[in-house]
Amino acid sequence: MTTTVGLINYGIAGNIHSIKKAIEKAGGKVQIVEKESDFKRVDKIVIPGVGSFKDAMEELHKDGLVDSIKKEISAKPTLGICLGMQILSTLGYEYGKTKGLEIIEAEVKPIIVDAKVPHMGFNSLDVKHHNSLLYGLEDEQFYFMHSYEMVNYTDIIALTNYSGHTFVSAIQKENLYGVQFHPEKSREAGIQLFQNFINL
Amino acid sequence: MRIIVKLDVKPPYVVKPVHFEGLRKVGSPQKLAKKYYEDGADELFYIDIVASLYKREILYDEIEDTANQLFIPFAVGGGVKSIEDFSKLFHLGADKVVINTYAVQENPDIINKAAEIFGNQAVVINIEAKRWENWWECYTDCGRIQSGKDVLDWVKEVEERGAGEILLQSVDHDGRQRGFDIELSKKVVEAVDIPVVVSSGAGSMKDVLDVALEAKPSGIAIASLLHYNKSTISDIKEHLKENGVKVSK
Repeated sequence: MTTTVGLINYGIAGNIHSIKKAIEKAGGKVQIVEKESDFKRVDKIVIPGVGSFKDAMEELHKDGLVDSIKKEISAKPTLGICLGMQILSTLGYEYGKTKGLEIIEAEVKPIIVDAKVPHMGFNSLDVKHHNSLLYGLEDEQFYFMHSYEMVNYTDIIALTNYSGHTFVSAIQKENLYGVQFHPEKSREAGIQLFQNFINL
Repeated sequence: MRIIVKLDVKPPYVVKPVHFEGLRKVGSPQKLAKKYYEDGADELFYIDIVASLYKREILYDEIEDTANQLFIPFAVGGGVKSIEDFSKLFHLGADKVVINTYAVQENPDIINKAAEIFGNQAVVINIEAKRWENWWECYTDCGRIQSGKDVLDWVKEVEERGAGEILLQSVDHDGRQRGFDIELSKKVVEAVDIPVVVSSGAGSMKDVLDVALEAKPSGIAIASLLHYNKSTISDIKEHLKENGVKVSK
């Protein structure tokens, strides 16, 4: 049976269009998740994210999704993308301090680098722990678009170097994955990543 | 170095103005977007160049159809006036929204507000710079209306307000294919800490290399050089790579 991927739609900032398109191209079915009962129809979860940490958490609270996301993540394979990965953290420092979903022990802080910020463009991965999500994609490049980074020491699967500064570009904790880059904006390599996720 | 294709759109066509005037049709946005995606563009900028001038909304169907072809970042601009406009464009598949006229002429606070809601990486400021004796002035409405604002002051202000990127166009050089305004490019790149995408003037691979080496922008936006099949994206990337400029695969 085709895997149904639940794509969480929250707030006015969400750009779920391109992620939906990429999952479908990878052979998955997409169910948009806007309330708790939508989770019943999905096998896997993707948390997208465009916007600020603070705004994203406020929207999730407003939609009453925080507790159900936490519960569902523990049972179903999940992929957080960009801000969708960052909000898995304990605490975010974008527009003041905001509590995250507190699933990954991490903080989200501004990138400090001797180069232009936001970090925008294609960049490569240094895969630290081989895993199913990034399988076969170790030498590919992915599109990054961010001013903040996740600071984590325990769940890293890939690092990326931007102008001499190394940051966490992918994490894994059991069935929960997060990527700082945008697979939906990373050509065929990104579609392959979604295929890997669907095949988990 | 990001190699970006800029589609100047006067719906339903991609056009190529010279000095922002004298439009020539070069094809449909959907077809060109697909072609440039397949040829290896790192990003696409879609600017509805007459929306502000004609005081109408940007045309949404055209954008959605174009976005559907792409698995690379897609920036959209033209006639953006409100947070609702930003939101609508993101929902149609834009990853970044480009704004100029409304922010310059009416309300720069929209930059702060958009950055707070959508993140600064999603807010791109379009600069239409016109060179005077010893300064550059910000123009709006497709290079037609003066603002009195000094480009070098304005880029610092928009950075302060939370913009995530600058698209730097030159009213004097656009569409002429005789090289970039390198002095302007260099000054703007040095003035801000956010990425600057330089545009206007690529007529040869040498022009692209010159601006890459001398101004060190984060990205280069190209239109005519590609529209008229004078070069391909892979040729340009190869040429940059041979000369020591890092480009994506």
